[in-house]
Amino acid sequence: MDRLERTPFKIQRDVLYALLLLELSSRFGKSRGGFFWVLVEPVAHLLVPVMIFTFVRARLVPGIEYPVFLVYGFLPFLFFRSICLQIIDATNSGQGLLAYRQVQLLDVFIAKTLAHSVIYAVVFSVVLTALGMLGYHVFPLRPIELGGVLVLTIALAFGLGLLFAAIASLIPDARAAIKILFMPLYFASGILFPVTRFPDHWVQLLSINPVLHLVELSRIASVEGYQPMPYTSVVYPLGLALLTLLVGLMLYRLRVLTKVTV
Amino acid sequence: MIRLDNVTKSYLTLRGRKVVFRNFSLDIPEGRNIGLIGRNGAGKSTLMRLISAVDMPDSGKITTSARLSWPVGLTGGLQKNLTGRDNVKFVCRVQGVRRAGMQEKMQFVQEFAEIGDYFDQPVSTYSSGMRARLAFGLSMAFDFDYYLIDEVMSVGDANFKQKSREVFGERLQKSKVILVSHSMRRIRRMCDVVVHLDAGRATVYEDVLEGIKAYQAAGGVEGLAEQDADAQDVAGQGAAEQEMAAASAPAPVSDAEAAEKEAAEARAAARARRRKRAARRRARAEQLKAGGGQ
Repeated sequence: MDRLERTPFKIQRDVLYALLLLELSSRFGKSRGGFFWVLVEPVAHLLVPVMIFTFVRARLVPGIEYPVFLVYGFLPFLFFRSICLQIIDATNSGQGLLAYRQVQLLDVFIAKTLAHSVIYAVVFSVVLTALGMLGYHVFPLRPIELGGVLVLTIALAFGLGLLFAAIASLIPDARAAIKILFMPLYFASGILFPVTRFPDHWVQLLSINPVLHLVELSRIASVEGYQPMPYTSVVYPLGLALLTLLVGLMLYRLRVLTKVTV
Repeated sequence: MIRLDNVTKSYLTLRGRKVVFRNFSLDIPEGRNIGLIGRNGAGKSTLMRLISAVDMPDSGKITTSARLSWPVGLTGGLQKNLTGRDNVKFVCRVQGVRRAGMQEKMQFVQEFAEIGDYFDQPVSTYSSGMRARLAFGLSMAFDFDYYLIDEVMSVGDANFKQKSREVFGERLQKSKVILVSHSMRRIRRMCDVVVHLDAGRATVYEDVLEGIKAYQAAGGVEGLAEQDADAQDVAGQGAAEQEMAAASAPAPVSDAEAAEKEAAEARAAARARRRKRAARRRARAEQLKAGGGQ
């Protein structure tokens, strides 16, 4: 009956499939309106600033529809934030799953990353469609380039998430500090208005933030005639993604993350 | 064969690193029921965690070709925000059981756990007894070469216990156990080989009684809580109380008779006690009546 031998590949596939469904059903199954609430968060993120800045009538971004500007800023930001935080939390919340010997912590990380990428992809499709129906020019200029930016975003979120999770399991107190880091990220990523409105030496400082680069890249790929931050580069977030993935996976291999501290 | 090769395992505590095993090697014999014994803190549960791959060693290797269960009855593996049914589905998927097989397992667990409508409620709404029943049913739904049991609680009322014993006895026809217990009675009853853990070293005893002797020589005593639980078991108390107490592990069917006999004796004793008490009460009442008459 269960005596079927499974190849390692099949086990890996089964585990990822199980974890992916688990993640999706625990996200949507929590309440009747599970999907509704998943949708509400980004919509609220969009609506509040749109309303404020439309009524103030400030022409923040000349020549560009403001909601479109916002939505393509939120796109990489929310991908990044949710995946990164999910991975940091998974070192705690995923412990119970490790009782089943086929399940490894890395599987939990991968499943959460996949699940949240799918969720946000769907959410943003809905939001973009809605904006399109309202008459905004939402269709991305270069969709494949935008896809590439999102893949880069996911890679960076995964790498940084691994690194943060390792730090958090070495120094348990660091967990709270890392989460606090995410609060100013919202303002340091140039989502509500372009950072180019700041003085140049500020912009130089802000360009340390890799998420800012991703936000700018996303807008370059999607919005016609967008004037990006002058220091925007692909190489910086890409290099950082590769470096954090390398170090993060190395720490995982050294079993830094899997050590249970009592 | 389960082999631990040069395993080191330590835990980080608030007062520094505590090493449980250093360069620890152990070959666990094949096809036998294994009892893990040792004093509190000897590393029994840590060894169990390592064997069940819940925890990883700092260094060294643990290899096996056998299919090992997760710790039987472990409620920590249940996802609290999911329903009982979704938890069963998850475990089925992890084990590679799909479609018809999954339906079959689901039915088995649902019938076994006896939690009624709660099967479709989130686990977070369960009582601890219901959680334990679901977890135990889940462990019993799958075939393994070894079932890993760390002082398992069999929970629920007498009826559920009897059923647990039967199902587990059935599994033991084909499978083996690795059992951690303080109860030497249970070790004698269920195990063919004893692994005695002391100060980070393990000795394998092919003779169970010899192993128990070594354990007692090292200062081991039968767990008191265990005996209490056994006593409660026999006295046949209310189901609620039994649910609270982590009671004895399910015994193989062959011992069910013995247990029944014990229970019958206990019941008889209780009846006798009750009769005696009633007689005393009557006598006292008569005395009072007589005193009132004077």
